Amino acid sequence: MLQGDGNGSKRRSLKDAETFFWSVHMIVSHLSVKNWRNFQHIDVDLRERQFIVGANASGKSNLLDVFRFLRDIAKPEGGGLQKAVKDRGGLSKIRSLAARRDPEIAIEVTLADGAGEPPIWRYALGLRQETRGYRQPYLTHERVWQGKKQILDRPKKEDKEDRDRLTQTFLEQINVNVEFREIVRFFQAVTYLHLVPQLLRFADSIQGRLLEDDPFGQGFLERVAKANEKTRRSRLSMVQKALKIAVPQLEQLEFTRDGVTGRPHLQALYSHWRPNAGWQREDQFSDGTLRLLGLLWSLLESDSLLLLEEPELSLNAGIVSQLAPFISSMQRNRRRQVLVSTHSDALLTERGIDGREVLLLTPTKEGTEVKVAADIEEVRILLESGFTVGEVVLPRTKPSDAEQLSLLK
Amino acid sequence: MSRTTAILAVEDKLSEAVSIKILEDRGIGISQQLVLKGKGYLEKKAQSLNQTAKAIPVFMLTELDSPGQCPPQLVRSWIKGGQNPKFFLRVAVMEVESWIMADRKGFADFLSIPIHRIPRNTDAIPQPKEFLVSLARLSKKARLREDIVPAPGATSQVGPRYNSCLWEFVRVRWNIQLAASVSRSLKRTLERLRTFDAM
Repeated sequence: MLQGDGNGSKRRSLKDAETFFWSVHMIVSHLSVKNWRNFQHIDVDLRERQFIVGANASGKSNLLDVFRFLRDIAKPEGGGLQKAVKDRGGLSKIRSLAARRDPEIAIEVTLADGAGEPPIWRYALGLRQETRGYRQPYLTHERVWQGKKQILDRPKKEDKEDRDRLTQTFLEQINVNVEFREIVRFFQAVTYLHLVPQLLRFADSIQGRLLEDDPFGQGFLERVAKANEKTRRSRLSMVQKALKIAVPQLEQLEFTRDGVTGRPHLQALYSHWRPNAGWQREDQFSDGTLRLLGLLWSLLESDSLLLLEEPELSLNAGIVSQLAPFISSMQRNRRRQVLVSTHSDALLTERGIDGREVLLLTPTKEGTEVKVAADIEEVRILLESGFTVGEVVLPRTKPSDAEQLSLLK
Repeated sequence: MSRTTAILAVEDKLSEAVSIKILEDRGIGISQQLVLKGKGYLEKKAQSLNQTAKAIPVFMLTELDSPGQCPPQLVRSWIKGGQNPKFFLRVAVMEVESWIMADRKGFADFLSIPIHRIPRNTDAIPQPKEFLVSLARLSKKARLREDIVPAPGATSQVGPRYNSCLWEFVRVRWNIQLAASVSRSLKRTLERLRTFDAM
């Protein structure tokens, strides 16, 4: 990113200039949503570290998808509103089934320096589908506020004269978003991680068939390869230290390139009863090692919003119980906001998790309800009497008739 | 102001089913439940929950397990200082299985065994779980035997679907009034809950 991004960057001091060059130090401090997938309505404050819990199919991934959607609109290559909607199977797939009277989908995010801080930016958009013709999705509104001052309010006069303009957001058009380029950068930098070890392990045999933005980590090695050598070395050494706690027999972690194909690889040296037999490539790593590796790397990678999907999968409960404090200690250096969807008791049974850091998703007949755990009276009282989030919030996400599963005949 | 909901704290799935049934019977809803982590966990948390009960009623059900103690002793050893009137700490004598079997007619029908196989005072059965398994061995229903009785050589004391089987019985068939007429300990719990509305 080059400087001169207009007002957005000017507001930051010179001291910040260097870090700003790389990243956008902000968090999403508030999220409002209307009729998005299985949510009729969301209106919650978010913090630097936010855990999203709920029963199966309560919409944890759909909630994270709000941010991926904004990224998909804003991304420089192959982005845009129409594509983002089309990739999700059309507006009818995105719109909440509970949205009967009011068919508009609306998203509004507030960006701030930290939780509870005054807003720096606010971005809002509304969507509907044409009722005739191509049934294209179009904007019902697009609004931007810098601090308290509104700097964009669409539809403008031109939009009304040329309806086609409403099929694109300003977010995706470089020549009209100069004033709020900082928001664009922020959305572009959103990272989603749901590392599937099998896909990474067989990346070579699957050959290049990469999903855009690589949500499942197939191109993880390419990402590692892209970092400059010094950065890569320092990150890998941190990852190695952390990995060694989980996998004590791991001695050393190294980045290499295949001598013939030039493909990037990670290799690890395990202490072994047979000397010189210990180097293994990532395709021989265990699922847990691979996931942990991807997770650790992602946490160190940048300062932008990170979306983690069930990081506990294939990890030992002892390690999982350390994820929450690990995320927080990582945030001391890099203020990367992390949204984590999870089912894990071990992850949430950590004393240091604040009830405000937990979003509880509860399915109802009118779509899923989203509440900050600390705002639920019983939960707050119990947390204040010393119970952990895992003890109090997770039972609320268990299906009440789970026992019947074993009675299926 | 009277409340009709409580926080529920129990040891396991079976006590949960029993508690839900008891609270339903008294018209009390459950606003919040704690994790199921066994008796040791409840003991550790009793003190905090006694505090919590100042704000919201708490219903906790545990088991006496051994005849060496009596319920008031157990309660005193769990709660230092006074017990909050809204903290309903109840102790099943000996185990929650005793309360389940106390619906003698219902349970005998469920297992297809003669009613006289179940003692008239189920609270006095020293090891209710083992006794219940031994009753299930007599069952004419092969499926139930497989579910409740552990396989020969198994290290577990109960069969593979013990909990879900009994859970289903409690949810669908268990008659609290009949059970309370047999189990004194259950009867007292129901009586104690009468004071719930007065809170």
